[in-house]
Amino acid sequence: MTMTRITRIAGALIAATLALAAPSHAEAEKLSVVATFSIIGDFAKTVGGDRIELKTLVGPDSDAHVYEPKPADAIALARADVVLVNGLLFEGFLQRLVDASGTSATIAVLTDGADILNDPSGGHYHYVNGQAIFHATPNDPHAWQSVRNARTYVENIASAFCDADRDGCPSYEANAAAYLDQLDSLDAETAQAIESIPQDRRVAVVAHNAFRYFERDYGVTFLAPQGVSTESEASAADVAGLIREIREKRAAAVFAENITDARLVEQIASEAGLALGGTLYSDALSSADGPAPSYVEMMRHNVSTLVDAINGG
Amino acid sequence: MKRLILSASVVAIAATLGGGSALAEDVTAWRLFVSDHAEPVVNVIDALDGDLLDTFTVKGPASLYQSSSGETVFAVQGNDGAVSAISSGIAFHDHGDHADIDIDDPKLLDVQIEGAKPAHFVELQGYIAQWFDGEDEVRVFTEKAALEENLEIRTANVGAAHHGVAVPYQNHVVVSIPNPEDASKRPIGARVVDFDGNTVGEDVACPGLHGSAGSGSLYALACDTGLLLISQEGGAPVIKHLPYAASLPEGSSSTLIGGKGLQYFVGNYGADRIVVVDPSEAENGFQLVQLPTRRVHFAVDPIRSRFTYVITEDGQLHKVDVLEGKIAQSLKLTDPYSMDGHWADPRPRVAVAGDNIVVTDPLKGVLHLVNAETFEKTGDIEVEGKPFNIVAVGGSGAVHDHDDDHGHDHNHDHDHD
Repeated sequence: MTMTRITRIAGALIAATLALAAPSHAEAEKLSVVATFSIIGDFAKTVGGDRIELKTLVGPDSDAHVYEPKPADAIALARADVVLVNGLLFEGFLQRLVDASGTSATIAVLTDGADILNDPSGGHYHYVNGQAIFHATPNDPHAWQSVRNARTYVENIASAFCDADRDGCPSYEANAAAYLDQLDSLDAETAQAIESIPQDRRVAVVAHNAFRYFERDYGVTFLAPQGVSTESEASAADVAGLIREIREKRAAAVFAENITDARLVEQIASEAGLALGGTLYSDALSSADGPAPSYVEMMRHNVSTLVDAINGG
Repeated sequence: MKRLILSASVVAIAATLGGGSALAEDVTAWRLFVSDHAEPVVNVIDALDGDLLDTFTVKGPASLYQSSSGETVFAVQGNDGAVSAISSGIAFHDHGDHADIDIDDPKLLDVQIEGAKPAHFVELQGYIAQWFDGEDEVRVFTEKAALEENLEIRTANVGAAHHGVAVPYQNHVVVSIPNPEDASKRPIGARVVDFDGNTVGEDVACPGLHGSAGSGSLYALACDTGLLLISQEGGAPVIKHLPYAASLPEGSSSTLIGGKGLQYFVGNYGADRIVVVDPSEAENGFQLVQLPTRRVHFAVDPIRSRFTYVITEDGQLHKVDVLEGKIAQSLKLTDPYSMDGHWADPRPRVAVAGDNIVVTDPLKGVLHLVNAETFEKTGDIEVEGKPFNIVAVGGSGAVHDHDDDHGHDHNHDHDHD
């Protein structure tokens, strides 16, 4: 795994900033791991098993883009052996949290080596309390929406854990290998399920354009509004533009997302004469009692929601 | 007229930006806005070289507040019935992988809000609520309108005239609830109202309410029993009460500051203690920090997020580590300023401008500069009169030729720090 810019900065900072505590690995005999958001947390739990102590910063159904780090997060980073991050500017809070914590942990960027999409728009919009907020990212950070990229995440996690805990390496590698088999099956299963949707019906509408990797790998086109706010004056005109696109491309269904309030897509669905097809999980898992408490279940839920809404519509 | 770069530090010449390559200069600019304790002036000082950039005459001695964007500084002249707005001349445009900085001359805007007794000022995400003691409604306007010198003021009812506070949102305002028995006493809680006179949800009790601060998307009001935490859910503000931890000694906060970069609050807790609050940790999120003498003023470090600075009446500046909940370093900086006497007597105030902590020393007529990394005094800036309240505005950003195509749209409009 390559040393990242953020790792080097963290290394330099440690000289100037007092570390809060020595890494806890030796004391607790477990590898102390921080994952920035729930999907990475699930990968970490699967690879690390009982050998790691895991803290996930941005929990289920929460939007990492607008997350504000807490002092407790900085303390967790300061005590961590390994910090797992997505990278590609997904976690906007990360640099200042690393700075505040003075952590000396290895910071593993899980998209390193993944097949990354450039974003021709230079970013995408999040919808927070009715407001459109632009998330400027030259490369699309939602790489986990490709199951093949998820393999890279898992391999990078196993590598980071092995580097930090040599004794546990066989266990991490075995867990990762078993999980990679599951991901291969999930990839094939996903492609097969999407095949059941007629080609000209594979167009869906979401509020936040987090599914470009899914689109690339499985051939479902996702339309998303650009900068439409439910409360902005431009709303009507912008929604009208999207409605035209929905009709031109014969979009089959509109979907809510678990990290975004549904008012915008409800408005779009109503004006386009389409029904809401359900909720897709984009940037976060559901809580344990929801339909997407793990990555594999999240992808299965998204696929079945798409297939049911489009084929059943 | 652009004051481009003459009073700013140009650090780098070229940068690679967002998928394309463009020549750019990495520019740092910080400005100090300093009011006088006795005179109706606001001095604007270049924090990098100490030069006086301008002096604006207002109606009376002012308390200063900066907007979260840093584009505007508001001068609240409590004894002279006026609020003035100053364009800081520094603006940032965030593009994710880099931020652009625009630097212009500071300007006293042709905007003045008048009323008998302007008191608490709150800005949140570009919305401003200006409270006037003695009025039964709060005035709300936007920073954008102030900068455009075209104020459109909306009002929200606050029940009865009292010394309270309001927190503005797009379509709602959180307002303090006056004491029903005697409105001259401290408020008893807070409620959400809209601009049509409607109350949204239930009143939330919080007796003795005084003091407020924002940290990220959270806004906090302090009272005798704990903090009221205000967040937005589904487009409307929601108020939750966070009681003080049972482990704390008897006491309460009446003035708050909010962390930048990390979400926390720091409040006074008695005269010679402060309390650090991590709201995400509930009961376990309170840490009490004992000061050597009584607190005069405090300010968070917006860059080195884990530190807050407190000046105490013995003239020491303390660097408080909010993660560990203790004083990390102390530095003797001014002669003693006793907290005995009138609350509004001239005493030091603290602000952070990039790598410098700046402390006003009104009786000496200077600003003391302390390096935030080494925590050593690095110099003084002399200021005529009694420099009192201070805010610092600035940061670093790219200045580049906009004929270049960066491969992304610069027209989008979004918030940034």
